[in-house]
Amino acid sequence: MLVMGIESSAHTFGVGIVEDGKILSNVKDMYQIKDKGMIPNKVSLHHLKCADKVIVDALEAAGVRAGQLDGIGYTMGPGLGPCLQVGMLSAKAMAHTLGIGVTPVNHALGHVEIARAYAGLEDPLVLYVSGGNSQILKVSQDRFRHYAVLGETFDMGIGNMLDTFAREIKLLPAWGSSVEKAAAGGKYIELPYTVKGMDFSFSGLLTRLVELSGKEKKEDLCYSLQETAFSMLCEATERALLLTRSRELCVCGGVAQNTRLRNMLAQVAAEHGAKFGFGPNEFNADNGGMIAFVAERMLKAGKRVDIKECVVKQRYRIDEAEVF
Amino acid sequence: MDYGIILGKGAEADIYRFTAFGTEMVVKVRNPKAYRIEQIDNSIRMARTRKEARIMAHAARIGARVPKVFALGTFSIYMEMIKGKTANLLSEKELDSRGVLRSAGEMLGMLHSSGIVHGDITPANIMVAEDGICIIDFGLAEMSRSVEDMGVDLLLMERSVSKKGFGLFLEGYNYRNSSSGNVIKRLEEIKRRGRYQNRSLD
Repeated sequence: MLVMGIESSAHTFGVGIVEDGKILSNVKDMYQIKDKGMIPNKVSLHHLKCADKVIVDALEAAGVRAGQLDGIGYTMGPGLGPCLQVGMLSAKAMAHTLGIGVTPVNHALGHVEIARAYAGLEDPLVLYVSGGNSQILKVSQDRFRHYAVLGETFDMGIGNMLDTFAREIKLLPAWGSSVEKAAAGGKYIELPYTVKGMDFSFSGLLTRLVELSGKEKKEDLCYSLQETAFSMLCEATERALLLTRSRELCVCGGVAQNTRLRNMLAQVAAEHGAKFGFGPNEFNADNGGMIAFVAERMLKAGKRVDIKECVVKQRYRIDEAEVF
Repeated sequence: MDYGIILGKGAEADIYRFTAFGTEMVVKVRNPKAYRIEQIDNSIRMARTRKEARIMAHAARIGARVPKVFALGTFSIYMEMIKGKTANLLSEKELDSRGVLRSAGEMLGMLHSSGIVHGDITPANIMVAEDGICIIDFGLAEMSRSVEDMGVDLLLMERSVSKKGFGLFLEGYNYRNSSSGNVIKRLEEIKRRGRYQNRSLD
């Protein structure tokens, strides 16, 4: 089966092509953030402008023609409404011309499933950390097979917190990877640490960091931010690991690219004799490949979605999405 | 340091059996976490140990049955050894015949009326002893008057017992907490929120 996947939930317009679980191509164009955050309408304009080119490039890179496609998946949500619309429209337009079906995919499920596949894990406990989301997940089967949310952020996603702070102290480019670089050689300053069972909160931490910015050295703030926030995530994850008695731990999502976080989680896993894994960075960042990957699984399982149900859902939670 | 025979390992702390002055006791030790830097690790373990002991002492003062705190170390609490089984190891029939869930409800009602939220109230933290029940593990407890926090306590209990069992638990809870109506109303509200709808392990 040959399936295309289109991702457009936030700053990245990405298109990937998969054939029988193998990613043939994964092309993306990312909206460049300068000093401000993302303004959904501006980002969606970026997506509209680059959509055609990214789709053509992905087909070329995979060495296939559009006519050979068996299906097209797109990100249904969660994400920014105007951005999601562009991906959905691209998918629907192409599918209409080619006379094939459209498959809506949950964005978070894309990250989780592709990381799990690349890491070679069967049934892991998953820490999903990205801009908008920070969740601890485990497959559960009640009404249907899905990822149950065991713990999550009470307020903002960790990525959003890192990006906001990067903008606040004028790091460029203003996101998490810059915070990681700036943290080198920093010293520890005490910051609020909020974990409640398997849930956690980042807004108090961010407020304190903003208060301290300008008063303390950037590297100290970045170092302390990473140590505090990642310790919180590790503590909640460790609790979930013990509760579920999982033998495997997986981290995915944009913030999973952070080396310090990975090292800390590896220690948590090792402590409890669990196998630890993650996917390649190109799939931790937003991408179309993971959408294609999940869409193909859904199609292979016989899942067909009526075109009337192919909409966008800004708050599409991972625990509402069936796992095939 | 040698604390004695290990009884259990938790996410946050280990539990040991320790004998001193001819008295058997339980020591709860918050071990260092290698993944955290020492400054964070020490200050968290110290603060949580003190907080837990303080809340346990408060619970005992208001008449709830909890292990007595004998001594407090930097990262450890020495407390009374309760002899019995935790409620999760007993059958529904045994729980029924000994009125365990109703008593546990009463106990939580008392704690909430005095501004203590347990934070992890499940049958695994209800010890059934010869002379009645005892609430253990205040590791996630908070001094709080928040209806939301109390509602979350009830939610956790509801998720871990049968429908009938929870009914008995609520009977006891209502009996000891004069503002239980508000908490139960909040519990229903919490359950309607998306994040809890699929939030189960089974």
